[in-house]
Amino acid sequence: MAIPAELPAEVSARIPERGLAYPNCESGRGARRGAALAADVLVVGSGAGGAVAACLLAEAGLDVLMLEEGSLHRTESFSTDVLAMMRALYRDLGGSMILGRPPIVFAEGRCVGGSTVINGGMYWRTPPRILERWEREDGLPEIGPRAMETAFAEVEREANPETQADDTLGVHHRLFADAARALGWHPRENLRNMRRCAGLNNCAFGCPTGAKQSTLVTWVPRALRAGARLSADAYVDRVLFEGGRAVGVRGRYLGADGRPSDRFSAHAPMVVLAAGARHTAGILKRSRLRARPIGRHLTVHPNAKVVGIFDQTIRPWWGAHQAHQIHDFLDDGILIGYAVPPPGLLAAALPGLGERSAELMALYDHMFPVGCLIEDTSSGRVVLGLDRQPQMLYSLSRRDTATAHEGVAKVCELLFAAGARRCLLPFADLAEIGSPDEIRRIRARPPDPRGLELMTVHIMGSARMAADPRRGATDPFGRVFDVAGLYVADASLFPSPIGVNPQETIMALVTRNARRWLERDVPRLRAARRDRA
Amino acid sequence: MSAPRHLSPSSAAILRAVIAAIRPRGHGFDQPIDEDVLLEVDRCLPCLPALARAALPLGLRLLEWGPAPFFRRFTRLSAMPRDEARAYLQGWLDSRLALRRLLVHGLRALVFLAFYQHPSVLRAMGVGWDRRLAETVRLRADTLDREKYGYPR
Ligand SMILES: Cc1cc2nc3c(=O)[nH]c(=O)nc-3n(C[C@H](O)[C@H](O)[C@H](O)COP(=O)(O)OP(=O)(O)OC[C@H]3O[C@@H](n4cnc5c(N)ncnc54)[C@H](O)[C@@H]3O)c2cc1C
Ligand code: SF4
Repeated sequence: MAIPAELPAEVSARIPERGLAYPNCESGRGARRGAALAADVLVVGSGAGGAVAACLLAEAGLDVLMLEEGSLHRTESFSTDVLAMMRALYRDLGGSMILGRPPIVFAEGRCVGGSTVINGGMYWRTPPRILERWEREDGLPEIGPRAMETAFAEVEREANPETQADDTLGVHHRLFADAARALGWHPRENLRNMRRCAGLNNCAFGCPTGAKQSTLVTWVPRALRAGARLSADAYVDRVLFEGGRAVGVRGRYLGADGRPSDRFSAHAPMVVLAAGARHTAGILKRSRLRARPIGRHLTVHPNAKVVGIFDQTIRPWWGAHQAHQIHDFLDDGILIGYAVPPPGLLAAALPGLGERSAELMALYDHMFPVGCLIEDTSSGRVVLGLDRQPQMLYSLSRRDTATAHEGVAKVCELLFAAGARRCLLPFADLAEIGSPDEIRRIRARPPDPRGLELMTVHIMGSARMAADPRRGATDPFGRVFDVAGLYVADASLFPSPIGVNPQETIMALVTRNARRWLERDVPRLRAARRDRA
Repeated sequence: MSAPRHLSPSSAAILRAVIAAIRPRGHGFDQPIDEDVLLEVDRCLPCLPALARAALPLGLRLLEWGPAPFFRRFTRLSAMPRDEARAYLQGWLDSRLALRRLLVHGLRALVFLAFYQHPSVLRAMGVGWDRRLAETVRLRADTLDREKYGYPR
């Protein structure tokens, strides 16, 4: 059901991201059966972590091959046809589940550029208190705010974090900021990786204007320009070993229907896993690596949403994805922000069948969904399911449940201060409240996670960095403990959750680590290659 | 009219009954698009996780034959009057068994996505995202300061 968009070729041609070249990139669909590939470095995944790692290693002169399970979808193919975009860009249509109490809906990307193609573009540095904790308590060297400064600056040069232009703001953006100020809070203008965002709010389905600087339009083409190669539609099943060191990977190409077809293997003395915190742990486990910390310490930044219903027309779909956040409560583990999904997605998350759903959705233009993100202290695990795919298990602790309740209460305070008539809540047994007085019913809830509706788009920590192999899967620079030649470069590395949107942290950590590999590991690799030659 | 490619005729018939029972009605949502919704859901099936894909035909049959064990009506879902079918499916959503809840939640999400994102429904709601696309690409093309942003990179 394609929605036609009249876009003159002359306009499209003036957008630098439309029509970008992707040299050295091919789809596994045309590849030959049993293909054997070789390179200096294999990078599995092309999202926030993988693209940065591949680019830095390629620019240092290494022969890099990126293997990406998803397909290459270019900026000019992005549209407002939500379902078509979800089929093309998301894994499991955006409806993966984290099993536990309560079950949590989880979404991630599966395309060249990974989740950065569908993310909201918020681009925040790691809070200094988190970096200090990683340095002090987790014993990680060179990771404090001062030490990380150059890595942040380097990734920001590519990402160009900037705030929204005024002409991209709609009614709800202003309501949010004004209500926060009225409550004495301090709304922060969002930093987003973009070059002149035009406020289409299609970020979660690919940015057709090209403004969002996902890795699809930055690090991936830059890596390809530096000589890296990219094989799309190439699913990596496991790592290959020889004498205790990683020497390559094995996998299957995916057909047009997304199902596995021909096998391939790829060989390199350096294998970098950047398949995201779920699938990197899955690949490590399928490779029969048994170290206890692999797959453990998974954290998920659970999100709870409240929908405010207003008398006034909001037209929530008009204007940028998210222009402000509330950081006042970060120390309490609560970040407040908003994102307006298209009608179909919002309806799926609201209660009711038939007429009841219609009655609610008739108010879509009067709705404003606001959410809270929790910096969780609970942790879960990645295990292999019956189909040998990684499955996430996670239950919310009483402490985090109480934090989520407090977050929901604060969101309701903000919505009522903005003029909401009623608030639809994420609780099975308390569906809505109609006045600020009732907020105390939320605060009075026992901290029981059952019946709390949560979702997330941030997962972290399943192969975390640690000074001690008993506490993490990789060393303080992302090398898998006890396996030479095997590295991790994605959100799995986080020693703990960070309480803010994670993509800049991922990119900066990978930059820090890749610099170290180039300094210490790559010269050895080059010497070995010379010896072999 | 095209036929579903991934659903068997019998699975499609059960899904048709589910759509008729749960699709939004009234309040401006009476568009006759059930068949489009069915086709759109069918297009989404290959994107579901392998286990869900494999279990779907069985799940649909459980729904079809479930009124007797779960709802005390000796009939099939596809033969039930619409309101009764909706009450029956609501029972699945409220069930204490997670698998029953999950099945109807999943189907509901797919049906609602296909329904509310249908162009005729978006038009009726006054949501003009497709128009905004053309507007915003033009806005960006016209106001992009290439020097400030360092193009070409
Ligand atoms: C809807 C949404 C909104 C978000 N909004 C924000 C935001 O505003 N700001 C922010 O900072 N973060 C946001 N995030 C989170 C952020 O995008 C992710 O945390 C980040 O992209 C994770 O980086 P990664 O490298 O760990 O994994 P990804 O970016 O997910 O990349 C992993 C890649 O590996 C590929 N892969 C997986 N398994 C295999 C395999 N077996 N073989 C080959 N390839 C494989 C995947 O296809 C994918 O391309 C959002 C995420 C989503 C989904
Ligand atoms: S709001 Fe629109 S223009 Fe801006 S980054 Fe998102 S999709 Fe692109």
